[in-house]
Amino acid sequence: MTERQARYRAAYLFICPIIALLVIFRLYPVASAFWESLYQLQFQGRVMEKIYVGLRNFQDLWGEPIFWKSLWVTLKFNLIVNPLQIGLALILALLLNLHKNVRTIYMLPLGVSLPIASIIWRIILDPNQGIANGLLKLVGITPQPFFTSADQALWSVIIIATWKGLAFWMIFLVAGLQNIPSTCYEAARIDGANLWQEVVHISIPLLRRIILFVLVVDTSVNFVLFAPMYIITRGGPTFSTNVLMYEAYRSGFTYQDWGRAMAIAIILLVIVLVIVGIQFKAFQTREY
Amino acid sequence: MKVGLVKLKDLKQVALVVLVLGLLAIPLAAYAEKPTSIKFVIGNWAPPVLQSFFEKFEKETGIKVEVDDYEFRNLLDIIEVRQKAKDETVDLFFVDAPLVPSYAVRGFMKALDGDFTEQEIGATWPEAAVGVGYWDGTLWAPPINNSSQVLFYNKELFKEAGLAYPSVEVEKRWTWKQVVEAAKKIVDPDRGIWGFSFDQVNRYYQLQALPESAGGGSGVGKDGLSVKGYLTNDGWIKAFTFYHDLYERWKVSPRGPGPVELPPMFGAGKIGLFVGGLWNIPDFVEAGVDFAVAPHPYFADGVPATPANSWHIGVWSHSQKPEAAVELLRYLTMDPEVSIYWLEKHGQFPSDYAALDYIMEEPDYAEQPWIAYRIAAYEAAHTAVIRARTPAFLEFEEILLDTFEDIRNGADPKASLQIAESRIERAMARYQF
Repeated sequence: MTERQARYRAAYLFICPIIALLVIFRLYPVASAFWESLYQLQFQGRVMEKIYVGLRNFQDLWGEPIFWKSLWVTLKFNLIVNPLQIGLALILALLLNLHKNVRTIYMLPLGVSLPIASIIWRIILDPNQGIANGLLKLVGITPQPFFTSADQALWSVIIIATWKGLAFWMIFLVAGLQNIPSTCYEAARIDGANLWQEVVHISIPLLRRIILFVLVVDTSVNFVLFAPMYIITRGGPTFSTNVLMYEAYRSGFTYQDWGRAMAIAIILLVIVLVIVGIQFKAFQTREY
Repeated sequence: MKVGLVKLKDLKQVALVVLVLGLLAIPLAAYAEKPTSIKFVIGNWAPPVLQSFFEKFEKETGIKVEVDDYEFRNLLDIIEVRQKAKDETVDLFFVDAPLVPSYAVRGFMKALDGDFTEQEIGATWPEAAVGVGYWDGTLWAPPINNSSQVLFYNKELFKEAGLAYPSVEVEKRWTWKQVVEAAKKIVDPDRGIWGFSFDQVNRYYQLQALPESAGGGSGVGKDGLSVKGYLTNDGWIKAFTFYHDLYERWKVSPRGPGPVELPPMFGAGKIGLFVGGLWNIPDFVEAGVDFAVAPHPYFADGVPATPANSWHIGVWSHSQKPEAAVELLRYLTMDPEVSIYWLEKHGQFPSDYAALDYIMEEPDYAEQPWIAYRIAAYEAAHTAVIRARTPAFLEFEEILLDTFEDIRNGADPKASLQIAESRIERAMARYQF
């Protein structure tokens, strides 16, 4: 065995445990979910049996208006919440990089779990007794229905998700900003660059890898987010907050329709993979 | 001869010793096999009521009752999850009455036919109360509670609006039209006062009485496996157009608050008329609101219909200690001490004859607001409607909950019920056997 081969062998041995964990906790569940999506639970002679149905669960979804509505809600939610979260997190990170002593305030939402945050926001945005409508009344604005309106419920959930997620993503961006050598900024200033030019031509390009990481993870997280929908809106009113993940959860855990639940989960996985693939492609054009 | 006698004496002694040892061995063996604890999965409202009975049970049998308690909505999810995991640590669990068929056909419970005699069943519960614990001729889960609903009204808000109180007599019960007219006079958004609300505002349990009163039936076909045409008949459309109008047209009822928030709102004097469960009475008395009760309203061109049934107890199908579980189940469901305590301390309407007799005999139950229990006893015998009997009840109820919430938030009743119909049909298709 050459020295090079021995080094490769050692490297493979070192990555073996993590590969094993990935297979057990990531790849096996995905394969298992796909397998389950090919079955349906049916009563056969008064006993619940698992029947092989091929791709029928996927075909059934194709013909279901609720599935298409949920798909649209999921895409709409993510098209708004991901750029909003990352954009605001980036702005905050840039500001906090300048004013370091107020960071704690922005970190506060991190200390509250999402279910608790959902309950608090449900109370704040209660159409009858919520603080939000109390404040709106004070400034002469008509009270809003928030979660009880099909037009406002998704936006209300977006506010909660953004409030909760902002600080988390900001931490990565702040860390990235602090890794940019100060000499880059000094050189730019010598060349006469103003603050805006520093941000556009130095900070953002050098944060590219961090932004890609945040974008990919944030997208993955938000595509499967359903706690606020589960706790506050139950996917309503009229399916306006019924994201695919919540539909899958209900199919499985409430209606015991595991085949349908797994089919939705697989479709969701494919969508996330495609979008993450596009994100990688878009951010790999230039390397710094 | 002497030898023979001695031998006979010896033989008798040996037989006596064997008999004594045998008699001793039976309880010893039983004791050795007897479990030291059993696990009971229940709703989170029950432990304060049942704790003292669990302790009494432990003193008498040596079996400790361990409790896993959950909020209503989580309880149903947990039962599904723990059954799917074939959890062997659970022995007994709370069964919502309409879920008996679903749990029975899916193998969640052990059949109890051999554990109760027909005489015991007939002597303990009225047919209307225990009947829902049966499926396919087999007893699966006897009742521990029953329920009914009455019309609560805030006397102070009635006086302010210059309204006469509704009658307590069942023959003179208010129509829904009278309720709406009174609610319109009471509602005052600027003061946060609402005219009317249901208690379990989006649950089939409470709202089934509307289509039943309007002649629409339970919403499920006789075979329990179809809703096509049953959820969109004239009675259902009429009932849920009325429900929709309470929020959208007359604006007398609040959107947003759910079954947890609404009773405290009545207790705080924020709602004029409230159709709710009897279990609220102790809380309203404690809250100090000036209120009284009247019978459940109905549609003038229909018939009176009231919600009924409550929690039952089933033996977990994966239990490793089914005998001990049955022992506790018999104690909790058949001993009137339990139901009378639950009635007296927590206002829960009972399911057994002994406690119903107690209500009719105790003079306190002839006065407001406790007369609600006598009204309920009448309703249980004359106007109570049992929930739809279908193995797909869990799916049926969940889908309807979303539908009712949508209608409450302004969605078109007919279109919403049509969507619900197609969703429930898919869920029921799995149960065609």
